[in-house]
Amino acid sequence: MSEADAVRAEVETLLALVRARYGSRLDADQLTGVRTAIEGIVQAARALRAVRLTNADEPAQPFAAYRAEP
Amino acid sequence: MAEDVVFLPVRQLAEGIRARRLSPVALAEVFLDRLERLGPRYNAVVTVTRGRALEQAQRAEAEIAAGRYRGPLHGIPYGAKDLLATSGGIPTTWGAAPFKDRCFDFDATAILKLEAAGAVLCAKLAMVELAGGMGYRQPNAAFTGPGVNPWNREAWSGGSSSGSGSAVAAGLVPFAIGSETWGSILSPAGNCGLAGLRPTYGRVSRHGAMALCWTLDKLGPLALTADDCGLVLEAIAGRDAADPTTVDRAYRYDAGDPAGRRFRFGVLRGITDGCEDAVRENFARSLEALRGLGTVEEVALPDLPYDDITRTILFAEAASAFEDVIESGAIAGLTAPEDRYTAYARDAILAKDYLKALRLRGVMAREADRVLAPLDALVAPGRSTVAAMLGGEVRSAIRGTARDVMGAVGNGAGLPAVAVPNGFGARGLPTSLQFMGRAWEENTILAAARAYQSATDWHRRHPADV
Repeated sequence: MSEADAVRAEVETLLALVRARYGSRLDADQLTGVRTAIEGIVQAARALRAVRLTNADEPAQPFAAYRAEP
Repeated sequence: MAEDVVFLPVRQLAEGIRARRLSPVALAEVFLDRLERLGPRYNAVVTVTRGRALEQAQRAEAEIAAGRYRGPLHGIPYGAKDLLATSGGIPTTWGAAPFKDRCFDFDATAILKLEAAGAVLCAKLAMVELAGGMGYRQPNAAFTGPGVNPWNREAWSGGSSSGSGSAVAAGLVPFAIGSETWGSILSPAGNCGLAGLRPTYGRVSRHGAMALCWTLDKLGPLALTADDCGLVLEAIAGRDAADPTTVDRAYRYDAGDPAGRRFRFGVLRGITDGCEDAVRENFARSLEALRGLGTVEEVALPDLPYDDITRTILFAEAASAFEDVIESGAIAGLTAPEDRYTAYARDAILAKDYLKALRLRGVMAREADRVLAPLDALVAPGRSTVAAMLGGEVRSAIRGTARDVMGAVGNGAGLPAVAVPNGFGARGLPTSLQFMGRAWEENTILAAARAYQSATDWHRRHPADV
């Protein structure tokens, strides 16, 4: 599968998900706008996936165990 | 009191108040009158808080008369972006029609801190609906109408802190509080010819502020000068138990004269690619001025998808933060047609991709710090264009229709930046210069911006007919 075909397939799959959830609220023009937004999301995701990280590269996200004081 | 106090920096107003040459009550009356009379011209105001302002001004006047001067914001009028919660029946609308009558019963921490400093809340200021989190493409994306630029009333004031920008630029308040997730302080500051400071993430409590993206949202001032931004930051900074992302790191504004200090500035390679001609020319002139203050060298960041990292985090967190508004269909009541459906697409962001963005954010933060470590600041155009026209489309790095490496890295890594005016471009609209520093180096970038403003006079120019 070519790169373009892979992107298109991913976009169509995700669009189907969004249509299943919200399709009843969206007219044709809005669905076109959603498709464009999903294309951007997919392109961004592919750019992120293209960067290789190691197992040690953790999310930059603090989490702390919680215990009410005292 | 005559209107000759309008366009005086906070520092000068404070000197007058401290010396009791200026009355806080009279000062409040001047700005309240301007907010009521001129605010609608710029679509800058949601609510004029006259009652609360006069109460605070009278208290300030009495305290100062009794010798209890609190500091440089005592008796100074200001406006707050309408995403900061305010009590007392003052609505907090988030710029969005579905919330235009909503009131909270508490004040945001930033509002409380400014009250403790003696500042006088005169207005809740207009903003792009939900701080632009739903994907707007045009200035007309608020129930109060598009933010109008005082330099050219056919142009936009910027977003999403549109009212904060236009109100300060039109002399409706001496300073305002805005918020930035990606560009929402630097954009209106640049568009309106103001100083705007985006603090380090965690410097200012977000408690009581609308959440757009928990790990990107910052609150900061817009004012006439970089110096005024420092005065305001000192008042609103600090640890807050109600916001666990704030740090226990005291901030005292260092207003020391930077004269004689030699700065080391960096410029990212290719940073003016895609900028309008006037932006590029004004930036080149700014670099000449900066060479008089220190050294300027070209630097480079490694090739990473910076915009994609920050955009993915923003979209995913906004979709979650506004889950109720989106899934209930309440977004159908928003003003911009595209805001009524674009957010549905965010369900397409996969959890693994969001986590990849968070992992890459760590790499980005370390690389940015490595580049910034030997420097006092990275400098760049504040924006790649002058303000969009009211009927036009807004170019935005958030949507991928513009490039903004400085914004992606600065916001994604939580770094401070200050924008100041550096000239004019098409249609008489301002351009800007930004200084971005290492985390917690607000004093360094403010010193650099003050030094630049000492060598230039762009900040002393104000729109005609205001």
